[in-house]
Amino acid sequence: MKTKNEPLVKLTTLKTRWFALLCGLICSVPCLGQLTQNRETGNMLKLTFNNVVAGKPLALRQDYTNSFGETYSVIKFRYYITQIQMIDSSNMSVQFFPDDYFLIDAGDSSTRTLNIPLSLKRLSYLSFLVGVDSVANVSGTQQGALDPANGMFWAWNTGYVMAKLQGISPAAKSPAHGFTFDVGGFKPGENAARKIEFVLNPTTKKSKAIHSIVFNVDVDKWFNGTHPIKLAEHPGCHEPGALAMQLADNYQTMFSIESTAK
Amino acid sequence: MVTICCLMVLLSGYLLCLSFTGPKAPATPVTFVVPAGWPQPLYDFKQNPLTTQGIALGRKLFYDGRLSKDGNFACAACHQQFAAFATYDHNVSHGFNNSFTRRNAPGLFNLAWQKDFMWDGGINHLDVQPLAPITDTLEMAENIDTVLNKLRADTAYVRMFSAAFGDEKINTLRMTKALSQFMLTMVSANSKYDRVMRGEDSFNLPQRLGYEIFQKKCVACHAPPLFTDLTYRNTGLSVDPYLNDMGRMRITRKPEDSLKFKVPSLRNVVLTFPYGHDGRFYNLMDVFEHYRGGVVAGSTTDALVKNKIPLSNFEIGQLKAFMYTLTDSVFLKDPVFSPPGYENRTPLAPGEHLHRYQY
Repeated sequence: MKTKNEPLVKLTTLKTRWFALLCGLICSVPCLGQLTQNRETGNMLKLTFNNVVAGKPLALRQDYTNSFGETYSVIKFRYYITQIQMIDSSNMSVQFFPDDYFLIDAGDSSTRTLNIPLSLKRLSYLSFLVGVDSVANVSGTQQGALDPANGMFWAWNTGYVMAKLQGISPAAKSPAHGFTFDVGGFKPGENAARKIEFVLNPTTKKSKAIHSIVFNVDVDKWFNGTHPIKLAEHPGCHEPGALAMQLADNYQTMFSIESTAK
Repeated sequence: MVTICCLMVLLSGYLLCLSFTGPKAPATPVTFVVPAGWPQPLYDFKQNPLTTQGIALGRKLFYDGRLSKDGNFACAACHQQFAAFATYDHNVSHGFNNSFTRRNAPGLFNLAWQKDFMWDGGINHLDVQPLAPITDTLEMAENIDTVLNKLRADTAYVRMFSAAFGDEKINTLRMTKALSQFMLTMVSANSKYDRVMRGEDSFNLPQRLGYEIFQKKCVACHAPPLFTDLTYRNTGLSVDPYLNDMGRMRITRKPEDSLKFKVPSLRNVVLTFPYGHDGRFYNLMDVFEHYRGGVVAGSTTDALVKNKIPLSNFEIGQLKAFMYTLTDSVFLKDPVFSPPGYENRTPLAPGEHLHRYQY
């Protein structure tokens, strides 16, 4: 059964967040299964990230217009997903995957789907981190999705690029009108990782667990999600700091659930 | 009967172990020796245990020009053993396509005790340090993937990665951990100063007088045994308008860190000239002259040098005599740090050939 546009409530109160964190700490069970990107085995929750602009699938190198009337096209769009956490609130059981990292790359459709081993009976809450937690930023060279060879790592000022949006805009006052938003920073006060939380539709005890969630990831939110960021004023972001934090606030808003399926 | 049972159990245990570890012989562990009286190292050896094979691999990588774009710039191109792994007699080093680096190459030793790396402390772990020079367009100018592919194409590397890490996978993690292993073994703790402190030797008069002056006027920043307190300080160097290097502020973006650079170690200081983050001081005398007369007192200039350091010509002479005792000739010539294959013919120290090839 697939329900389109299920009504969703976002966890916003501090209390609930602390509660969720507490649950996470107390009930975290070591994951038995292996998380995979674009592979399906066993009892899995499938997370699909559809990169979109204004509701339509993102096409690289195609012109779009942001809310300031600036035309832009996207050449690179990549972001890290980690710390996936799932809660079944009926029996307070939690699944948490703090050590699995995924790099979603708009240029590689095989990276769009994540398969998470699901042991919960029902899924009432899901959260993940966009970016890379601070521990992984201070622990030396990493491998897999975090391999610095993936081009999401600053060598001169150690740290991961949490998310990256690069393209061309006539509005950008830069060589070849390129714009490059490489957003990173993990130290207190400039941490660009953002937690994304969803309370899933309340289900009755009899109903089955959700086995698939499709997210829309709206690129356009980078310009106006929370802070207005005009390409004419900011053609680039290449270090942690104020602009990176604003862009992070913006991409925090880019995720919404398109559909869920049981 | 009991013996046979025991043997069976042992054998099955051995086979079981074998099935988990594979048939490959495990790498040979190497113990990191902390010099007597030194603090515990900051590097977490549990995450990267030293092995003979890992160190050998790191050494080969350190001396391999293929880590750079055109093959000319190995790590060792700018970090020369005879200069305590700094660049001998160069204010800044040379990189790809006739470029100059922006800062003076520091000597490499005692890295296990360092928390941050580079003059501005921008790099927070030894393992990721090599990625900066490898990818910097003014230095080795290569990208990591290309380096890895060059290594994968070389059967000698496939063998060495396998010997060091258990299988043939070659990735950034393994490459940088091997480089760390080699660099961590570069411990310099065998200078005359060290021998004197261990009671095995004694200073001559100028060295002893110099040591006393050092303890009054220098030791606050250049603290033994590392001869640096690893802090970041503005020692009153004027801003070079071509480099416009703001130092640590580039990393922290805090105005109070403007023009601050890491306090360099004075170990092997005689060989690591020129001095200063941009190598502007050609010799020790220039440095002494700076501290006794040239300090620019700005808003972030360190309180310890802001009002200059009074140094008489006599004191400078004695200090210089002491500085020479920090040269670790064992370290500078230790064949374990020489290019692979050069164990028995260590590259000559600068100037040494003048004496060796006389007819």
